[in-house]
Amino acid sequence: MTALLSSPESPPGAADLAVDQVTLTVIDNYLATTCREMGVAMMRTAYSPMFNEALDFSCVLFDAAGRMIAQAEFCPSQIGTIKFTIEWMLDELGPDVYRPGDVIVMNDPYRGSGHIPEHTLLKAVFHGDEIVGFVANCAHLAEPGAKAPGGLAGDATDIFQEGLRLPPLWLQREGVPQEDIWKLIFANHRTPKVTYGDLMAMVGSLNVAERRLTSLLDSYGYETVTTATDDLIGIAERRMSEEIRRIPDGVYRFSDIIEDDGVAEGSYLVDCTVVVDGGEVTCDFTGSSGQAAGPMNGTYAVTASSVYNAFMHITDPTIPRNEGCYRPINVIAPRGTIVNCEFPAPLVGGNTELSPRITDIIFGALADALPERIPASHGGTVCCFLFGGRHPDTGDLYSHFHFEGVGWGGRPFADGDSQVIVIIGNARNTPVEIFETRYPVRVDSYRLLEDSGGPGLNRGGLGVERILTMVVDEVTVSALFNRMLVDPFGIGGGKPGANSGIYVRLAGEESWSTFKEKFGTMSPSKFSNILLHRGDQVKILAPGGGGWGDPLERSADRVLADVAEGLVSAVGAARDYGLDIERRGGRWEATPTPERVAAGSGTLADRDRRYAGPPEIVEVSP
Amino acid sequence: MTSVRIGIDTGGTFTDLIAFDATDGTVTSLKVASTPTAPLRAFLGAIEASGVAPDDIAFLVHGTTVATNTMIQRAGARVGFICTAGHEDIPYIQRVNRQFLYDLTWNKPRPLLVSRRDCFGVAERIGADGEILTPLSAEAIDDLCDRLAANGELEALAVCLLFSYLRTDHEQALAEALRERFPELPLSVSHEVAPIWREYERSSTVIADAYVKPLMQTYVASLAGGLADADIDVNWAMMKSNGGLMNATAAADHPIHLAMSGPAGGAVAGRHVAGLLDLENVVTIDVGGTSADVALILGGEVGYTTSYEVEWGIPAAIPLMDIHTVGAGGGSIAWVNAGGFLQVGPQSAGADPGPICYGAGGQQVTLTDANLVLGHLDPDYFCGGTMRLDEGLAHRGAAEMAAGLDMSPQELAHAIVEIADENMANAIRMVSIDRGHDPRHFALLAFGGAGPLHGAAVARKLHIPTLVVPPFPGSFSALGLLLGDLRVDKLWTQSFRSDRVGPAEVAERFATIARAATEELRAQGFEGECELRYAINMRYLGQNYETEVEVPPIDALDTSGAAEQLERAYQAFGDRHRAMYEYVIADAVIEMISFRVSAIGAIPHPHLARVQPTAGHLETSRQVHFGAGGLVDCRVLHRRAMPIDEVLEGPLIISEEGSTTLLEPGMRVRRSAEDVLIVEVGA
Repeated sequence: MTALLSSPESPPGAADLAVDQVTLTVIDNYLATTCREMGVAMMRTAYSPMFNEALDFSCVLFDAAGRMIAQAEFCPSQIGTIKFTIEWMLDELGPDVYRPGDVIVMNDPYRGSGHIPEHTLLKAVFHGDEIVGFVANCAHLAEPGAKAPGGLAGDATDIFQEGLRLPPLWLQREGVPQEDIWKLIFANHRTPKVTYGDLMAMVGSLNVAERRLTSLLDSYGYETVTTATDDLIGIAERRMSEEIRRIPDGVYRFSDIIEDDGVAEGSYLVDCTVVVDGGEVTCDFTGSSGQAAGPMNGTYAVTASSVYNAFMHITDPTIPRNEGCYRPINVIAPRGTIVNCEFPAPLVGGNTELSPRITDIIFGALADALPERIPASHGGTVCCFLFGGRHPDTGDLYSHFHFEGVGWGGRPFADGDSQVIVIIGNARNTPVEIFETRYPVRVDSYRLLEDSGGPGLNRGGLGVERILTMVVDEVTVSALFNRMLVDPFGIGGGKPGANSGIYVRLAGEESWSTFKEKFGTMSPSKFSNILLHRGDQVKILAPGGGGWGDPLERSADRVLADVAEGLVSAVGAARDYGLDIERRGGRWEATPTPERVAAGSGTLADRDRRYAGPPEIVEVSP
Repeated sequence: MTSVRIGIDTGGTFTDLIAFDATDGTVTSLKVASTPTAPLRAFLGAIEASGVAPDDIAFLVHGTTVATNTMIQRAGARVGFICTAGHEDIPYIQRVNRQFLYDLTWNKPRPLLVSRRDCFGVAERIGADGEILTPLSAEAIDDLCDRLAANGELEALAVCLLFSYLRTDHEQALAEALRERFPELPLSVSHEVAPIWREYERSSTVIADAYVKPLMQTYVASLAGGLADADIDVNWAMMKSNGGLMNATAAADHPIHLAMSGPAGGAVAGRHVAGLLDLENVVTIDVGGTSADVALILGGEVGYTTSYEVEWGIPAAIPLMDIHTVGAGGGSIAWVNAGGFLQVGPQSAGADPGPICYGAGGQQVTLTDANLVLGHLDPDYFCGGTMRLDEGLAHRGAAEMAAGLDMSPQELAHAIVEIADENMANAIRMVSIDRGHDPRHFALLAFGGAGPLHGAAVARKLHIPTLVVPPFPGSFSALGLLLGDLRVDKLWTQSFRSDRVGPAEVAERFATIARAATEELRAQGFEGECELRYAINMRYLGQNYETEVEVPPIDALDTSGAAEQLERAYQAFGDRHRAMYEYVIADAVIEMISFRVSAIGAIPHPHLARVQPTAGHLETSRQVHFGAGGLVDCRVLHRRAMPIDEVLEGPLIISEEGSTTLLEPGMRVRRSAEDVLIVEVGA
């Protein structure tokens, strides 16, 4: 079959293809399936719950020129940065250095990695004597050898406190492990056995990918495969460009606040001007604050990755996910700012906290241009809670990176989902039964938080409350949260979602305090190495999503359903939705409050979708 | 004379019956239209149509999609979910990941519950070592019962307490109290349904069990009543997702095990035919109207898994035959995505309206339409001629779609078939290559109405040298129902480390489970000799996912022998790990996570008789499009007319009542004495 397909309205992508359509579809599916299978291999063999339960990793394929040719449903932030990581590695190492069976590791954020915990492994794939592509994966190691167990020290003041930096190094040469490199890593990580298991899981995953890629080349031949991947990249670029063309040309601007950085007083502005011009878009962060003293900075790779992530979300999800998608998107991030920090600034939280914020900022900027697509802000923080110590059962050191899902923002067409992982990732939570089996910390409760979803015509999703009790004499804890002081914003009259929070209650105490109140940390949400003891408790609040549209316009039926389900309280219904709720004879009934009556039939058309500007910063007390 | 064994497989479109008469070895197969609103009608109707007298029926096995459909259509009971206080939101929080990246229209799946208010916490707590942290008090139970009573709308109860897989005391006490207080409410308890760790997966499974239980109990009672009314007094069983049979009443009490009841029959029959032909390694593919089910037979056995999902994110972790399903069947719809790429499925036109050629109002071109356009199907002999396909309609539909794509209808039809073949091949890659098995070392066994039509092309794509088409391919799953044995799988979770456990402890563990499994089999009325199989789920200490390794019986009394067996089991685990991931961790501690014993009660199976060819007049020919070969004048032979053990060359179409086998030019086929078609696919 040689005919090329094009849909009735002749979208881009069908022209100038060198490989027939069926073969293209087959190869595209095959490559994505390969990425998924790499993921399964990692999950099944890795040691840390970060890998095998949370799945905080990504698997990606590159062609011989280092262009990304396939990805799958992994962590968007890693997928965005790994493009820069691999470009850097190939550039720094130069050609002709790879042998079959070589595996190279790298995690340096100043060489294109997202942050130190994320380690990238790379393997060249040979077909005959030729390098025909690269297989790579990127994963968050639970223990990178930072100043605090689990990494992510919320008060790091430079990169050296954030863990062991690895420039591109050979973990394996021609299939032989490089003992000296492994020894160096083991000597610097608190949990070397876990590091070994996890890195070997990554190596195993590369083996799986290598096998599949080789088999594809055996079936179709090098020519066809490379021509097909060229075509796929071209198609992705043209389709992404066409999607951008559908956004009305214009200059859009939005900003939000990073509340603090764990080290110094004061907050940071992240400001973005989005210029849509035909089939291209430029996101310019000029005007953002200078780089932070603490770890809230992003590298250029992180900022660009966050922008890509935003555009992937608001464009056609069927576009092949490869290098071509990124080409029509330009990112300007001035050096020395919070969105493109300079060595040796600390940055471990940029990848977890700044990144989702940037994605929400792009959404906010385009809310007017794409009113039918753009949601309100999601909870937008990973709620990084780190802890570690010596496990009494094993006598070994342990450390864990714990995080939470958040409420997602109300959408033009539906409520936001409750408890879904932050937009930069696609990790899972760690089951309580696995968490408690592995670590000496008990989960007393883990539940959705009533009224935490931002009120709106379409409500934001709910956040969660988790209460943890330390069940050994000493546990060292650290945190890196955001959105504890600055609300997840609503859109078009929607109200903000509830804030995040982290609180402590020492054994025997009645009430909860912030870590700032109890331990004098600079920030209530970003700190490291606080020593807790048996019976001490930590309460984590994951934020809700912002609301979309005026809550007074939400129908009484939907509000009643929320009250019946326990998502909104009667108090919240009266305060936010203007409905007095009563239960009569086993049924919930609603009466409009005078405020709701006065709001009358507010129409969708006259909504002010503008974000009201930087919010006031207020101290929070529990 | 009670000599006839009957298998009835109720699917969404057709109800298939296979009757095997032990006296003369005759096998009868027939299809009647399913009656989804009153399944009993088609069930009894099929028995009546078979002409078997009630008194002649010795045994009856039923496979059904009722449990699956109840879940998919969200038509089950209102379940009250009972769990450890503080963790009531387990079913709603789930695992917090997303099915798709970059899709803001995606909605998190809803649990099989009506309301978050139907989740009830009870004050109690067991810790990670199995220690009781908070005892379950009588007051706590009373308080829970009062809240359940106050709800007033619950139709079934599901209990899942934290760490119940380690210690069952609390769940048992609670279950006892609930049965006493709410005798009318079906109850499912997590340590009985799925004693696995991970509270969300366990909760979701026990909720699913409770969700389908009232309906399945009614269903089984209605069939039992119908059989009694028809004077059929017979011991009957249902096929579970693991391919084992379960006494019908017992099945209704553990209905989640029926989730893959239908496809399991096909895999069991596949295993049987593989055995018949002495094939060690076989991939089976069952292509029906909406989906293709793929299973792997390794060393003569079908693999098992526990990763069934009602929909994405709603797991039911039951032991089931490892069957991988993709949306590729005769009804799969061809469509063009936003990028101009032709796609086939996973949406299906189903049975109503069905493909365009059914003439029942279908407007979208399906795989069946494409096959008809290419001449692969005979419009006058679909389902043995009981259904007529409208060639003109199919042509018109294909021409319309093809015009928009600047192709000829035949080019479009060929592209549709090609993409569907590739989707099926991908499903096979997922279960073979991706798990380290090279499909070139396998035979492909194709069945289901559309399986033999696509089998040869799928085999060619995967370089599988041999295609096997069994007898009765169109009702092969029903045949499988008669080939199963009674089976009880007992899985107990308790972790042991290889450096801290002795063979005696493992042997004792196995002995206890084996006792429980045997007792349950006996309780179903099985009186013969039980076959026991043992397996251990293992991993390196620190990993979170296990690999199941079959082990020989470990005898506690023979200490040196037991130690050796255990050592061999560790070795086997290492071998599997290396095969899959190309590395082992030398000297690592191996953790044994759970122990499985399967108690199997063998029952008599039909023997596929040696067949004689009938007259050769059932031969015609027609014009058929083959991919690169273009339009070819192709011989069409009825299966019954095929000579035995004689090699025929493709292009060739072999027609029969329930299916059509398509051989490409150059392929060769032989019909064995057991009536199995063996196709040499070639390189």
